[in-house]
Formats: sequence, C-alpha cells, structure tokens
Amino acid sequence: MIRNWMFPIIAGLLVSAFAWQGVLFATPYALMSKAMDVIGARAPANSFAFGALANADNQPIVRPSPDLVYSSCVFDVSKGPVLVDVASVPGHYWSVSIFDARTDVAAVRSDRDTGGKRARLALIKTGQTAPQGYEPVRLQYDRGIALIRILLSSPAEYPVVDAIRRKSTCKQL
Amino acid sequence: MKTWHRFAACIALGLVGGAAFAVHQVRGDYADKQVHNGQWSANTDQGTASASALTRAKVALNGLLALPAKEAMYFITRTDSEGRPLEGRCTYTVTGGELDARWWSVTLYKGEGWLVKNAANRWSVAGNAPARDAQGNWSFTVSPNPTEGVWLPTGRTPHFDLTLRTYHPRGALLNDPANAKLPTVTREACA
Repeated sequence: MIRNWMFPIIAGLLVSAFAWQGVLFATPYALMSKAMDVIGARAPANSFAFGALANADNQPIVRPSPDLVYSSCVFDVSKGPVLVDVASVPGHYWSVSIFDARTDVAAVRSDRDTGGKRARLALIKTGQTAPQGYEPVRLQYDRGIALIRILLSSPAEYPVVDAIRRKSTCKQL
Repeated sequence: MKTWHRFAACIALGLVGGAAFAVHQVRGDYADKQVHNGQWSANTDQGTASASALTRAKVALNGLLALPAKEAMYFITRTDSEGRPLEGRCTYTVTGGELDARWWSVTLYKGEGWLVKNAANRWSVAGNAPARDAQGNWSFTVSPNPTEGVWLPTGRTPHFDLTLRTYHPRGALLNDPANAKLPTVTREACA
C-alpha cells in the first residue's frame, strides 16, 4: 500500500515546490504587466501621462502618496532607445525612477543626484547606445515604467508644479 | 485505484497546494529581509536585483513602484503599540520626534494599500503639519471623527494600516532601521 503511493507522493511534492516558486516568480511580472496596461491607457507608449493628485477616487497603482504628483511613462526599447528628460522643479523633492518588467529599479535620480539640474536618461538594451548628453540606463527587459515623483508642500502648489513637470518628455529616439 | 490515478491525484494536490502556499505567503505578514522596529516593519531590499522572489512578489502586491531604501524607507504598521489591529472605529494618538530624513509623511490605507474615502478628503499627515514642543516632539490624531489639532480620518474603514514614508533617509533610519526612533501609535478609545 505505502509503496504504491510513495512515487506519486514524491511527484506531488516536487510539483508543489515548482508551483510555489512559479507563483512567486510570476507575480511581479503579472502585476507589473497589469500596471503597464492601466498606466498605458492614459498615454501612448513612450510618452508621459501627467496624473492628477492621488485621492480615494484616483488610485491608478497601489499605495499612492497623496502628497506626491506622479507622472508616468510606459516605455518600450524594443525599437530603439527611449530618452527620458525630466525638468527640475526648484525647491521641491523630485525623482525619476526606472522600473523594469520584473519591478526592479534600473535607475533612480533625484534632485539630490543632479544638483538641481534636469535629469537626462537614455533607456537602452544590449546593442543600443546612448546619445551624447544622456546617462545610459541598461535594461534587461524591453518594457517598463519611468515614474516621476514631485513632492508638494501643499495642494496650492499644484498649478505651478504641474506647468513645470509638463516640460518633461519621454520619447523614442 | 490505478497507478496513474494516484499520480494524477498527487500532482493535482501538489499544484493547488504549492500555488496556495505561495499566495498565502505573498498576502501574509512574513517576509525575508524584513526589518521590525516595534510595531513597524520595512523592507530593505525592495526594488533591488538582490530581492528574493518572495520580497519582489510582496512589494509588487503591496507597494508596486516603491523606491529603493537609499531614496526612501517605507515603514508600515497594522497594529497599535500594544499589538492590537488598527480599527477605523477607534481613536489613536501618533506621537514622535524629529525623524532623520529630508521629508516624511504618514498615510492611512485600507486593504492592500488603498486610500479611504472620507468627508475631509484627507489621507496623510506631512512632517511639517504637526506643531512641535520645546523638545521637537509632535503628535496628531487618527480617528473616525474630527478632533482638535492635526487629524487624520479613518473613514470608518474596519481595518487600516499606517505607512510612514521617509524620503532621503539618513543615519539610523537608513543604516539601522530596526533601532531608529519611530513614532508610537497609542489607542485612546473605540466607538
């Protein structure tokens, strides 16, 4: 009796281990893909969507900060480098972060890193080169999200900050 | 029972069991490389290539597009200082001192991390909002009803969590988060 079940049980344990790791492995890709679909619906690929302040009725991604203004670009480097040019917002914390399809941060640059100057990043994959004046960010995957965060001291600052952030661009070379 | 029946049953059970365990882990409280400080917890390797599959999955579910630690440390608590779950019908006092970061805020979320509807349209308290005493200490209230001073509404959601964001953290906040001085969350009363 026990011998009849030994190999099926071993097979079941092996399958359960693969299923366990498979779900853990696939979860970030699946959730990032969904996020790219949601954010990508707000603007064409390789261009920034300038979102409104997060509130209970506007939460495109989980755990948004209501104190930050978010601008997001779903990028795709499969047909060439994508250039991300971020306007500096004087007197405010701001950063641009590049997330790949696995949710890893390929690069993050803030006003602390740029000394208050604009950030200029070239998102590239193997075989592509960054144009002069752009910092290369090498990616393991074709698609991902570039996200700009700008901190507001109060919602009254929004119109001024909104005008500045709209000078930021995300475009395919 | 034929041999292939036994294999089919065990493999089916293995598939379902393995996947269910993964979902349980991702949705649960346990995480490797998680730092605990009182009732607060934080991940130190989120967004990095060295993050484990479990950490990556948990961050994707609960804090997709979170920044790495050197840029921002995120501390989350789902309980008060005595370990009781945070409830939307209760009033809490959040008390703390100066935090070693460029900027901080405390935001209230429900479920996996969603802002809660409330009449005041207020979802967070920024570090510059509460008044300081002579020692630099501050406090604010989390409650279903308006209170004097700085007030963060619960929106009467059954349960919630508080997320402390610290941008450009320095000192112990970044290098020794398990021992950094963090705010306390004290339950005052429940309606």
